[in-house]
Amino acid sequence: MATLRIYNELCKGAEECGICLYVCKEEVFQPSETMNQKGYRPPVIVNEDQCTQCENCMIFCPDLAIVVSEKKQKKGSQ
Amino acid sequence: MDEKRVCTGRYFMMGNVACAEGAMAAGCEFAAGYPITPATEVANHLAEKLPQVGGAFFQMEDEISSIAAVIGASWAGKKAMTVTSGPGISLMLENIGFAIGVETPCVIVNVQRGAPSTGMPTIGIQGDMVQAKHGSHGDYEIIALCPSSPQEMFEHTVIAFNYAEKYRTPVFLLSDAFVGHMREEVVIPEADKIKTIYRKIPELGTDPLKLKGFLDENVAPMPIFGKGFKAHVTSSCHDEYGKRNLIDISALDKFVRKLSDKILKHKEEITLVERDYEGAEVVLVSYGGVSRAAAEAVLQARKKGIAAGTLRLITVWPFPGEEIEKMARKAKHVIVLENNLGQIYPYIKAEAAHFSEVSFLPPKLVGEIQDPEDILKKIEEISK
Amino acid sequence: MSELVHPYHRFIRPTVTHSSFCPGCGDGTIAQSILRAIDGLDMDMDDFVFVSGIGCAAWIPSPLFNADVLHTTHGRPIAFAFGIKMGLTEKKVMVVSGDGDLVAIGGNHLIQNARRNIEMVVICSNNGIYGMTGGQAAPTTPMGVKTTTTPYGTFENVFEDISGLVIAAGASFVARWTTGHPRQLTASIKKAIQKKGFAFIEVISQCPVQFGRKMGVGNAVQMLEDYKNRSISIQEAKKLSKEELKGRIVVGELVDLDKPEMVEEVTRMRKKAMGGAEAAVDTGRS
Repeated sequence: MATLRIYNELCKGAEECGICLYVCKEEVFQPSETMNQKGYRPPVIVNEDQCTQCENCMIFCPDLAIVVSEKKQKKGSQ
Repeated sequence: MDEKRVCTGRYFMMGNVACAEGAMAAGCEFAAGYPITPATEVANHLAEKLPQVGGAFFQMEDEISSIAAVIGASWAGKKAMTVTSGPGISLMLENIGFAIGVETPCVIVNVQRGAPSTGMPTIGIQGDMVQAKHGSHGDYEIIALCPSSPQEMFEHTVIAFNYAEKYRTPVFLLSDAFVGHMREEVVIPEADKIKTIYRKIPELGTDPLKLKGFLDENVAPMPIFGKGFKAHVTSSCHDEYGKRNLIDISALDKFVRKLSDKILKHKEEITLVERDYEGAEVVLVSYGGVSRAAAEAVLQARKKGIAAGTLRLITVWPFPGEEIEKMARKAKHVIVLENNLGQIYPYIKAEAAHFSEVSFLPPKLVGEIQDPEDILKKIEEISK
Repeated sequence: MSELVHPYHRFIRPTVTHSSFCPGCGDGTIAQSILRAIDGLDMDMDDFVFVSGIGCAAWIPSPLFNADVLHTTHGRPIAFAFGIKMGLTEKKVMVVSGDGDLVAIGGNHLIQNARRNIEMVVICSNNGIYGMTGGQAAPTTPMGVKTTTTPYGTFENVFEDISGLVIAAGASFVARWTTGHPRQLTASIKKAIQKKGFAFIEVISQCPVQFGRKMGVGNAVQMLEDYKNRSISIQEAKKLSKEELKGRIVVGELVDLDKPEMVEEVTRMRKKAMGGAEAAVDTGRS
């Protein structure tokens, strides 16, 4: 299963908002030229394998437009 | 109705206390208000009685929060009321409009006092009659009852709650300092003789997406909170599902009309009047405490052989224009009596002037109900 | 392979297709923090009644949250919430609104209900501006700032410490965070929901459109960076002087104490009124 999903139609743009790009330490996202129906340009996922599933992008996103899959629990951890 | 709520018996009782007893009998569960002369006795009495049946009176920080809390409690499913006087109503008006917009049953008691502004607190006038109808912004209909005695302070409060619940609307009880502070015999009937109405709510488990909880002329069931209806309640323009619409003018038109039509469609069953003008050439039209003087004057006139009569408006809003017309068609002269400078007079004149002579007899001193002797003189003058 | 689904979309009213906030608005982050707290406590939207006033932040629950929501008049949501709580004591009542609504026009309801310590959660999105009406000065706008109603700069002293006001009024739980602290904010909202008493959370929130862009503070990202730089924990702040704290945002749980709560006191009063008998919750209705 993928680690990340962007709901493109909910996104209000990497340029106008861009919070996900700011809070991602691993530079998983990159701005893109593709417009959604509202006229915003959602970012694209470029480095999904770099994603540490810290969930920053999801938690900060003001439009509930990003979801990160749950971190797999290490054996023996709580 | 619960017998604990109804203190059946014959009493020598103050109008304001009778109002509180009426609220108890009607099933009031929540009251909020702010102290103000000459309405405070209602609050005092409710503060004592409501907790005894599991309710409560809350003294809020002002009248704005009082009506807000009442609307909140009503959406929580409680029968709720507030009580105040003119200055308090002035503060409440925005939220009264809100209550109309989201169709909230509640009772607003206005024990009117000398006005404008801080005026004269212990003197009763009928100064807030038009405020009740037009005080909040926009077009809307309201129901208002005008008691003329402590007995009616009791009875009309019960009716006010029933109307509020039945039509999902704020209902005014427009009393005044005279009627509120008057002490008279009050007979409170047995609990099973008092008819009480509760609002309709949607069937539990109704799919929230299919729930039409607003804007029905026949009164939509109220999707009260806490029942899983997931009600979105906004006084901004909305549709019958409660969904906000701030773009489409036709939605606004529907919003305004449906709210008004809900009351107007049921005007006939809401309207209460007292007719005593059979064969009368001169008819006195009045409401509230003033109608007591009108009745006395007519009694004297009849003794003198003058064909006089009365029409008393019990519900002033929605304005019973049809009743006025019916009366005016038979009368030669209509005399309007109010304890103000003529607030309902233009409404009466508009309906009656086509059929009969209409005049207004103001009180000699505003704040002093017309002397029956003066009314009699006017009747004699007119019928010469 | 099944597609990832956002865990909080199930809390959104089905008729809502997208949030009504401007791009980069902090109110959306607050919305998610609330939903995360509710999810974290294993609670359901039907356990809540949400109340909001007028202004951008009032649109956080209305119509977004799929729950009972009362969208009230300007400044009055706490007063409406009072009645709802007294009528539905078993439900959690949460007020979500802005600084203009809760502190400017509605200030007295905030003060008096904090004093009453009535159980409810009040979340105040403080963006320092009137956003919805087009960027007018608020009591929370810093002095000297040019806004649409203060073209020569604001000439009023700024309301610096809303949380301090609520603490002084007597609330039993008060926290302040910024939208740069969504995890901490969620943790505080969880505590606030469980608090028996008036729980107030002030969230310093970016308005990139009416505040950031117009005032040269920057866009959403720059504003978040600014919050990060200026924030200082209450523990650290206690070591600094008033002078040293100038311009800093003190964040953390500022007050968490136990004191008489109003709904419980009302129940006690009813028992007294009934002559010591058990207070009936139902009041004569079958």
